Amino acid sequence: MPITSADRSRTERIEILSPEGVRDFSIPVDLPADQLLSLYRKMVEIRLFDERSVKLQRQGRLGTYPMILGQEASQIVPASCLKPKDWLVPTYRGQGAYYARGMRLRYSLLYWAGDDRGVKFPDENNDLIFAIPVGSHLTQAAGLAWGEKLKGQGGVAMAYLGDGTSSKGDFHEALTFCAAMKLPAVYIVENNHWAISVPREKQSAGKTLAQKAWGYGAFGVQVDGNDVFAIYKAVSEAVTRAREGHGPSVVECETYRLSHHTTADDAGRYRGSAEVEAWRGKDPIARLKIYLERENLWDADKEARLQKDAAAALEMEIQAYEAFPPPNPLDMFSENYAAAPWHLIEERAELQKILETKTGEENLPVLPPAEGRFP
Amino acid sequence: MPELNLVQAVNQALHQAMEEDRRVLVLGEDVGLNGGVFRATEGLQQKFGAERVVDTPLAEIGIIGSSIGLAINGFRPVCEIQFDGFLPSGMDQILCHMGRMRNRTRGRHTVPMVLRCPHGGLIHAPEHHSESPEAYVCHTPGIKVVCPSTPADAKGLLIAAVRDPDPVVFFEPKLLYRAAKGEVPQEPYETPIGKARQARVGSDVTLISWGAMAHTCLKAADMLDKEGVSAEVLDLRTLTPLDLDAILASVQKTGRALIAHEAPNMGSWAAEVSALISERALLSLKAPVRRVGSWDIRMPLFRLEKHYIPDAERVLRAAREILAF
Repeated sequence: MPITSADRSRTERIEILSPEGVRDFSIPVDLPADQLLSLYRKMVEIRLFDERSVKLQRQGRLGTYPMILGQEASQIVPASCLKPKDWLVPTYRGQGAYYARGMRLRYSLLYWAGDDRGVKFPDENNDLIFAIPVGSHLTQAAGLAWGEKLKGQGGVAMAYLGDGTSSKGDFHEALTFCAAMKLPAVYIVENNHWAISVPREKQSAGKTLAQKAWGYGAFGVQVDGNDVFAIYKAVSEAVTRAREGHGPSVVECETYRLSHHTTADDAGRYRGSAEVEAWRGKDPIARLKIYLERENLWDADKEARLQKDAAAALEMEIQAYEAFPPPNPLDMFSENYAAAPWHLIEERAELQKILETKTGEENLPVLPPAEGRFP
Repeated sequence: MPELNLVQAVNQALHQAMEEDRRVLVLGEDVGLNGGVFRATEGLQQKFGAERVVDTPLAEIGIIGSSIGLAINGFRPVCEIQFDGFLPSGMDQILCHMGRMRNRTRGRHTVPMVLRCPHGGLIHAPEHHSESPEAYVCHTPGIKVVCPSTPADAKGLLIAAVRDPDPVVFFEPKLLYRAAKGEVPQEPYETPIGKARQARVGSDVTLISWGAMAHTCLKAADMLDKEGVSAEVLDLRTLTPLDLDAILASVQKTGRALIAHEAPNMGSWAAEVSALISERALLSLKAPVRRVGSWDIRMPLFRLEKHYIPDAERVLRAAREILAF
């Protein structure tokens, strides 16, 4: 008997908009101009937010913050392919994904300022809080997708992960579940080449991360993750496949983390500037701007207005964030159980007494009323 | 009233929970056609279909994680982890997410799910099939932990767990699956979560336990009776939240308490119960509170398990010591 090929990877890579802003029109993408401009605006706005957040952190006005500089396309575009009632589960580097879904930036700031009140998504959305232990949200997204399949109304669940997280068992179990049960799930791998200090090639000897999908019986595709058109094409097709019952997909967006892992990290300790500079030349926003200008969809006046409006809107969000009164410590005890057990009732009463004592002694600021359900 | 064993009671509870609420799903390894390795889910798939009774891939993170997702998305999953020794594979989901989601999302997303898992030793099982991991879970906020010792409580607590708006980890003493028999009402009913059961009334010493060890304590109480000692046996049934009132009422009456359990003593749930008694009933105590647990070593292979897990003799010895204090 001859030895045959049992399987062959079919992983494709899609590039449509070159770093120089030249679009390959031979690959069709159904992305109307108004939608394209909306994506561009959001990318510019979230970059401004990113820059300001780093400054706020350096000024001591924000806690540790994970930068998304360079990943604006892979953040904004996938989440924009969803309907509000679809499920979104980003990573902790997910301010862009939430922003694309309409989350107010004041809440992102509040969260990264260490305040639980920052977990506040638009009421009409099915957004889930990200997981800090990387990858632990991936099987939950499978469960959300499973629920959508059972409901049979065409809903999908999308989860983001990074190149490092693709090494975790969670990724394996999530893809195993989704493919075996043909669940409407889309996994966005933001391959930004660095898991803190560990480069992409140390995570896997595979040529792509997308090709892992085929092993599970899922669909896998790699795209230029700084290319709005390529991401939009691959993700919107993956979402459609999921909606129509054809099962899960993995879309690997090859991008680059231009900044540090977080404000607590110094990337200069483990990577050279030449690599970073090379990737600066592939900037997702710059190339889209060139394209838009060439197509007469954008010009210097519009850019100036966008920058001005975005800065003003952001300033309002920062003011709103800083205007939040300090949280009432008693809020910790709310929403732990549908009805609080005796030990939480006791402990909350104890903290309340301590707070009352402190208010007199240390000029503790007047606290807002406690929020949330208790007991 | 029909007599059932504990696994039949669990099975009946699952049937009735699935009948009364279409959102209830059963998922896990071998729970479908095979009816579970202990037959706890027997007949469910035939009755409710493969869409609601699901043989999942062999993946504990996937089972627990997807159950969390299903629960957030409006379903009432009852997942099974096949053995207590396989629970640690999924602990990340239990420790970091299952009990935290309600609080992390300020009440927006809740996780009304049940995680069923066999518990304990003494059935001559292979390695990693006889563990007592309850303390790991009890230590985690946002979760309720249950471990019944009678068929009637197994049914009532499981129905209560499925109806509960918060995640419940439901430990089933596998020694009792067939050994514990008792009358079980046919209709669906709830045994309240958070309430202990006075398994035997006594006045000289309180033997506190849960799961299979409750039966060991009853046996020890019989032995004490022959020595003229009146022992009270408290079957906690729920480990979190603890029935503090029942514990304190009994200890204030008897003045002496021991907590018998199958896990190693150090850092155990028995240690927590002991600490609560010491903090809140010190002046009622006539002797120090004792923990009677397994030795602080790993669960041995089964030839030695009866020397590892406390038997009635060890409970009796400890009781005698505190009575003589």
